[in-house]
Amino acid sequence: MSYFFQIVVSGIVVGSIYALAALGLVLVYKSSRVANFAHGQIIAAGAFITYFLTVTLAIPIFFSFLASMIITFFLAMSVERIFLRRLIGEPIISVIMVTIGLGSILDGLIYLTPFGSENFSFPTFLPHEPLSFGGVSISWTQLVGVIITFILIGGFSWFFKKSTVGISMRAVSDDQFASMSVGISVPKVFGLAWATAGLSAAAAGCIIGNITGLNFDTLHSFGIVVFPVIILGGLDSILGAVVAGIIMGLIQQFASGYLDGNFGLFGTGDVMPYIILLIILLFKPHGLFGIHEIERV
Amino acid sequence: MSANTWLATGNFYTTYKQEQKTFFTSLDRSVFTFFLIILFAWPLFFPLSNKFMLVIDNTLIAVVAVMGLNLVTGFAGLISIGHAAFVGIGAYTVASFCRTMGDTHIIITHFWPLMIILSGLVGAGFGAIVGLPALRLKHLYLAIATLSFQMIFQWVINFMTFFNQGQTISVGRVFWFTGKVGRKDHYFFWYYAILVVVILLGFGFRNLLKTRYGRCLIAVRDNDRAADAMGINPGLTKVYAFALAGFFAGVAGALHAYVYRGVGFESFTLHESIGYLAMAIVGGLGTLNGSFWGPVFIKFLDLQMEHLSEAIGQYLPSGMNLTTAMKPFTFGLVIVLFLMYESRGIANWWRITKSYTKLWPFRY
Repeated sequence: MSYFFQIVVSGIVVGSIYALAALGLVLVYKSSRVANFAHGQIIAAGAFITYFLTVTLAIPIFFSFLASMIITFFLAMSVERIFLRRLIGEPIISVIMVTIGLGSILDGLIYLTPFGSENFSFPTFLPHEPLSFGGVSISWTQLVGVIITFILIGGFSWFFKKSTVGISMRAVSDDQFASMSVGISVPKVFGLAWATAGLSAAAAGCIIGNITGLNFDTLHSFGIVVFPVIILGGLDSILGAVVAGIIMGLIQQFASGYLDGNFGLFGTGDVMPYIILLIILLFKPHGLFGIHEIERV
Repeated sequence: MSANTWLATGNFYTTYKQEQKTFFTSLDRSVFTFFLIILFAWPLFFPLSNKFMLVIDNTLIAVVAVMGLNLVTGFAGLISIGHAAFVGIGAYTVASFCRTMGDTHIIITHFWPLMIILSGLVGAGFGAIVGLPALRLKHLYLAIATLSFQMIFQWVINFMTFFNQGQTISVGRVFWFTGKVGRKDHYFFWYYAILVVVILLGFGFRNLLKTRYGRCLIAVRDNDRAADAMGINPGLTKVYAFALAGFFAGVAGALHAYVYRGVGFESFTLHESIGYLAMAIVGGLGTLNGSFWGPVFIKFLDLQMEHLSEAIGQYLPSGMNLTTAMKPFTFGLVIVLFLMYESRGIANWWRITKSYTKLWPFRY
C-alpha cells in the first residue's frame, strides 16, 4: 500500500512541475493564440541562468532565482517583440514554425555554452534526509518545489483574476476588437503575456533543475511533453493546466510504476501522455476546462 | 493559344484540355529536358566521392518526402509534425521483411522496386489511420495529434524487440541486371534509382494537381465548407491527403533503408520531422518546385555549416561546442528569416525570375 502512496506522492510532484511548465504555454495561447514550441528552451535557459548566477557569480540562490525570472521575463518579451509581432495574422503553420525555429536558435545558443552537453546540479541548500510518513517519503527539494509551485500558481491566478493587467489580458483573449475599443493596447498585452510566460518558465526550470538535476535534454523535452497537458486541460484555462498537470503526472507515475516490467513493457511513462492525448483529441478535443470552439469537419 | 510556341506572355487557353498540358511552351519543355539531361549525365563526367554522393542521394530522398509533406501541409493545409514517422514506417516495412526473411532474401535484393512500392502502400495505410483525427480536428489540435503519433512511433520502435529496439537493422545489397551492386557503385546506382523515382513521383504530383483528386485538396484547404457545398467530402479528402503523404513518405523511407543499407531509429525522430517541415517552408509551401529547392537548400546549408564550424572550431577554446551549436542555430535562423521575410519560400524567387524572363527585355 505504501508503494501506491509513494507513487501518488511522486505523481503529484511531477504533476505540479508539469502544471507550472504548462502555465507559460497557456498564458501565451490564451492571449495571443500562439502555441509556443520554444517553451522548453526558455525553461532550460531560465534554469541555466539561475545556475550561472548561483554557482559562478556566487549569488544566494533565492536572489538568483528572482534574477533569472526577471531575465527570462525580458528575454521572452523581446522574443515576442522582435519575431512574433510581425506574424500577427499569418497562417498558423507560420507561427508554429517560427516558434520551432526560435527554439532551434536557442538550442544553438545553449550548445555554445558548456550547459548544452554536460550535467550539472544545483548546490544543495536543503536537508538531505527525505521526510517520511508511514513508509511514504518525499525529499525536501521536492516538497519545497511543490510548495513554491503552488504559491506561484496561486499568484498567477490572483494576477489574472484581480489585477488590472491580468483583467486586460483576459479581455484580449476574449475579444481583441472589443478590448481595443475600451483602450487596451493589444500588442502590449501580447508582450506581457510572453513575458509572464518567460517568468513562469524560469521558475519551472529552477524547480525542475533542483529536483532532477540540470541536463539540457531533460529540460527542453519538457517543452514537448507539456502539450498533452495543455490539451487535456483545455488550451486556454489556467485551472485546467493545473488539474491536467497533476492528472498527467499521476498517470505517468502510475504507468511507470505498475506497467513497466510487468508485461514486458518499459518506458510507458514517456509514451502514456501521448496516448492519453490522442484519446482526448478523439473524444473531447476541447479538454477538461477549455471553451468549446472545435468545429466538426 | 498564342502563335509563338516558344514564348508566351500570358495564358491563352480556350479549352480545359489546354490548361491540363504538362508544358505550356516549347521553352518550358526544352528547359526541362535540358535539366533532365544534366541530372542524368553529370555523374558520368564528374564522378564524386562516395561521401558526396551519399549527401546527394540523401537530398533526393528528402525531396520525395517533402513532396508528400507539401501535399498534406501545403496543398491540403493540414499541419503534420509527424512526417519523419511516416518515412520511418516505410523504412521499417523494408526492415521487417529483413527481420523475418533475412536481409539477403530474394525479395529484398531482386524485387526491390516492389519493396519500394509496398513500403509506399504501407505508409499510405498508416497515413490514412493517422489522418482519422483530421475528421474532427483542425489546425493546432491536428498538429499536436500528429506530434503524438510521432512520439508513439518512436516509443514503439524503441520498445519492440522485433525492430531491434531502435538499433540498426541491416538491409542487403540489391541486384541490377549487371549483377550485384557493389560497394563502389552503390551510391552511384542509387542516385539514378532515386532520380527516376523523383521524376515519376514529380510527374504524378503535377498531374494529380490538374485532376479532380488534386484540386479537391486545394478546395478543402481554402474553405472546407465551400468545398462541401461543391460536392467534395472534406473529411474523406483530409484522410486521403494524409494517405497520399504517407505514400510519398513510405517510398522515401524504403529508399532511405536501401541507400543506408540499414534502418535505425535515429533517422526518424521528431527532429527530422521538423527538418522536413522546414524544408517544405523554405522551398515554398504549396508549390511543387519548392519541394526541390527546400531540401537542396537545407542539406547544402547543413554541409556548409559542418565545413565552416570545422574550420573555425580550431581557433576557439575547447569548451565551446561549435559543431553541435552551429547546426541548430543556422537551421532555426533560416526558418525564422524565411518566414519573416519570404514566407512563400524559394519557389517565389523562381516564380519571379520566370515572370521576369517572360517579358524580357521589356518591362511593365
